[in-house]
Amino acid sequence: MCGRLTVHDPGAMEQGPAFYAIRINGHLGAMVLCAFPEMTSQRRGAHTLLTGLLDRSALYGVLAEIEALGLDLVEVRQLESHRGCPGKSPT
Amino acid sequence: MTGLIDRDELLAALDRAAASRVTVISAPAGSGKSCLLRAWAARSSESNRLAVVQVNRDEQDAQAFWLAVLGAVRRASGASGRVEAPVATPDVNARAVADRVLAELTDAGGDLTVVVDDVHELKAPEALVQLAGLLNGLPPGVHAILATRRDLRLDLHRLRLAGELTELRAADLRFSQRETRRLLAAAGVRLSDAGRAVLQQRTEGWAAGLRLAVLSLAGHPDPERFVAEFSGTDRTVAEYLLGEMLERQPDDVRQLLLRTSLLDRVNGELADLLTGRSGSERILLGLEDANAFVVSLDPERTWFRYHHLFADLLRLELRRTCPEEVPGLHRRAAEWLLRHGDVVDAIRHTQAAGDWFAAARRLADYSFSLTLDGQAQTIEALLRAFPPGADADSSELAIAHATTEVAQGRLDQSAAHLAVAEAHIETTRPERRRRLQVAIASLKLSLARRRGSLAGVLEQAEFLASPMSGQSDEEIVLDGDLRAVALMNLGIVEAWALASPDAERHLLEGAALARENGRPYLEVACLAQAAFASKIRPLGATRRRCREAIALAERHGWDADPIIAPALIILAATMAWRGDFEGADRCLRRTERALRTDTGPGIRLLLHVGAGMLHAGRGRLLEALVEFDAAEALRSRLEGSHALANQVTGWRLATQARLARTGEARAALASLDPDRASAGEIRNAYAVISLADGDPAAALDAVRDVVEGRAPVIGYFTLVEAHLVAGLAHRDLGDARAATQAVEAALSLAEPDGVVLPFAMTGARELLEMLPRHETAHAALLGDILDVLRGSSAPAEDDVLAVAEELSPTELRVLRFLPTNLSRPEIAGELSVSVNTVNTHIRNIYAKLQARDRSSAVQRARALRLLGAGRTPGVKVTRSW
Repeated sequence: MCGRLTVHDPGAMEQGPAFYAIRINGHLGAMVLCAFPEMTSQRRGAHTLLTGLLDRSALYGVLAEIEALGLDLVEVRQLESHRGCPGKSPT
Repeated sequence: MTGLIDRDELLAALDRAAASRVTVISAPAGSGKSCLLRAWAARSSESNRLAVVQVNRDEQDAQAFWLAVLGAVRRASGASGRVEAPVATPDVNARAVADRVLAELTDAGGDLTVVVDDVHELKAPEALVQLAGLLNGLPPGVHAILATRRDLRLDLHRLRLAGELTELRAADLRFSQRETRRLLAAAGVRLSDAGRAVLQQRTEGWAAGLRLAVLSLAGHPDPERFVAEFSGTDRTVAEYLLGEMLERQPDDVRQLLLRTSLLDRVNGELADLLTGRSGSERILLGLEDANAFVVSLDPERTWFRYHHLFADLLRLELRRTCPEEVPGLHRRAAEWLLRHGDVVDAIRHTQAAGDWFAAARRLADYSFSLTLDGQAQTIEALLRAFPPGADADSSELAIAHATTEVAQGRLDQSAAHLAVAEAHIETTRPERRRRLQVAIASLKLSLARRRGSLAGVLEQAEFLASPMSGQSDEEIVLDGDLRAVALMNLGIVEAWALASPDAERHLLEGAALARENGRPYLEVACLAQAAFASKIRPLGATRRRCREAIALAERHGWDADPIIAPALIILAATMAWRGDFEGADRCLRRTERALRTDTGPGIRLLLHVGAGMLHAGRGRLLEALVEFDAAEALRSRLEGSHALANQVTGWRLATQARLARTGEARAALASLDPDRASAGEIRNAYAVISLADGDPAAALDAVRDVVEGRAPVIGYFTLVEAHLVAGLAHRDLGDARAATQAVEAALSLAEPDGVVLPFAMTGARELLEMLPRHETAHAALLGDILDVLRGSSAPAEDDVLAVAEELSPTELRVLRFLPTNLSRPEIAGELSVSVNTVNTHIRNIYAKLQARDRSSAVQRARALRLLGAGRTPGVKVTRSW
């Protein structure tokens, strides 16, 4: 429901998508989560863990969003074992 | 204003940093960079002038960025009163504007600081490279401060090593405990020491967090409870505080903030439209007074923008709470923006609404006028935003693609897109068809011009010049633009390929139309071409036209642009014709500079002809031949004919003959087709060859048709030349009386314009010296010519490139009121100065314009184009604070 205009860049390097886990300090509410419609969020203590299947440009789009909203980025991790396997949920 | 305090320590730190050549403030969103710069600028001493630029969101157009910088630098250095505001142009590249920025900074003479905020929004890679170049080579006494959310990929290595680079980072911008206390006190918030410490700790001194908190705390019934709840949640700071702030706003304010958050900038009318209520302007003014995140963009406070982080959060909240309304809001904004001429933003909002088909149609409809606005790079960015394979009809986008390809010189790709657009045109509705047809036709002409094949598209151009019938104002303006471009292209084809007498009229009509439409670039282009089309006669009128075009170009800073080259060359030619070789030389050197970026064969040919004339006039035959050879080589590469083709060939052959290379010349002559061989210029050349071969009778035969007016000629100069060659032939035949008569005939033709060059080029000195002064009716001209032939260049009439005494910026401001019916005290009121000051300015204006009274001053100012404010440039006005 929080559709966003995605800018397609045909020149971007096309790599297979992978699952990423992005850890942000603090608890993201419904307002800020609207910025990440392609990610699922989970609370992990004082952090929020965003996970989703992203290709390269989608990943940088998410990171740009984090920067624009002034969020406190703690960690970005690629979940190796699930690379390129949509449908399986990451742990 | 709530949420803003003077951060003295930070300001002092920036003061220290700004003493080094370059300062970079690099800190995340909401760290208070912009507020710091604004406060620093407000405190900055008068002796340090500031040029402040705010980079537009997601700026992909390098030229637009540099034009904004140039405008700011000119305002700061006080140069803006002398020249027009810089506007984007179809041909000028970003590199040229960046160079001009450096030149203006050098001229500014120090004590100037360039401040660029939001550099991270600059997405044009070439602009970043050029920016690094500028920073590494700042003139003495010029400093730069950049603010960015992330470290820039600028190569500032050398500055860093030299200790000329200072950085302020997030830790430096954090609010100290003392500053937090002062911030709260300034907003009238009473908070215990413990509460303040909690607030400080929870926000970690992050400026946006503290300022958002203050918005909720001001007037809060229980500030301690607010802080306790805030510290008790682990929600992220910005989201929590924005939510709290919104909840505490009255409904109309909340609705306004949410619904206008989609806009890059907002005014009362637009906000009324999006909220469906009235009174938005009052709310916006109130918000700016109370809220550190809302700032007005103009001194009249009609346009506002939100702090980026603030707007981003509001946008998310709008999407969360009323997602179904978002496309409609974009749609309404797009309609309003389109009605108000902001086409680019209108198309962006149409795309954001997901109306891809409508967006494609709008881009097709406006790609032509956007190109005239110099927004080719913006068109490219808009094209990139279309999703591949979305329902946007790709044939609608073909015109836009063709436009960007031709702008980058990819002619074949452009032609391919044009073919798609043309095939598609039959299926478009009739009311759009005309507009698209004309856009396609103009693109074809532009392609043909770049390929140097002019004659083939003449039919196209004639169709373009027929009157059009627009209905709405916007259509009339667009029609006007199209007509002006069409007239220009038609005039160029007529002048260069056909040497048609209609060329001059069409170009002057095009210039007048461009002036009406506020398209100075087009006007300069038409005037410069009209100078070429006028075929030099009468010399005085042509010279005036050249100067008019050059002066207009100078006012806009295009005096080194390719567009002005035709006027510069023709001006040089008029000087050369009159024997002012030094003036012509200066002018040609200027043309070479202007043509550095243009390789069009037609105009280069003209430059070689001009240089050849100059050398030939000075008797340097070898150098002249090199130039005529080069001109001839270019001529043979042109697909169509060239107005000066016979002149080039004729002079080249004659010069070869004068260098005793008659064999070569005769061979070349023999290979010409018969049509050309009968032209006056070629006949003259044949006569010169015959003279050189010792056959004066053949020479007389050759020029007979020319002197008797039967041979086609380019201009009357050819006749002057023919008479002189005939005179030389008569002399060689021993007929002194006929020789004298021929010279006298040449002098009569040359007299009105004071033409000297043919006498120098034909080697007629001896003939002239033979002529007894009392036997000629043209003794004065004869004296002048002999002076030039004996080696003194004719005196320049006046310095061509000199400009009238300049009005100061304040005088210009007063001048703009003179055409109104405001009295002097009323003008003083408008400008917030005393009547005495206005009187002094008006006296100076009269003196400088040599006017007796108000109406003659207005008249004179109109003539000098000092009053026309022109249209608002198509690019968004990047005003800062």
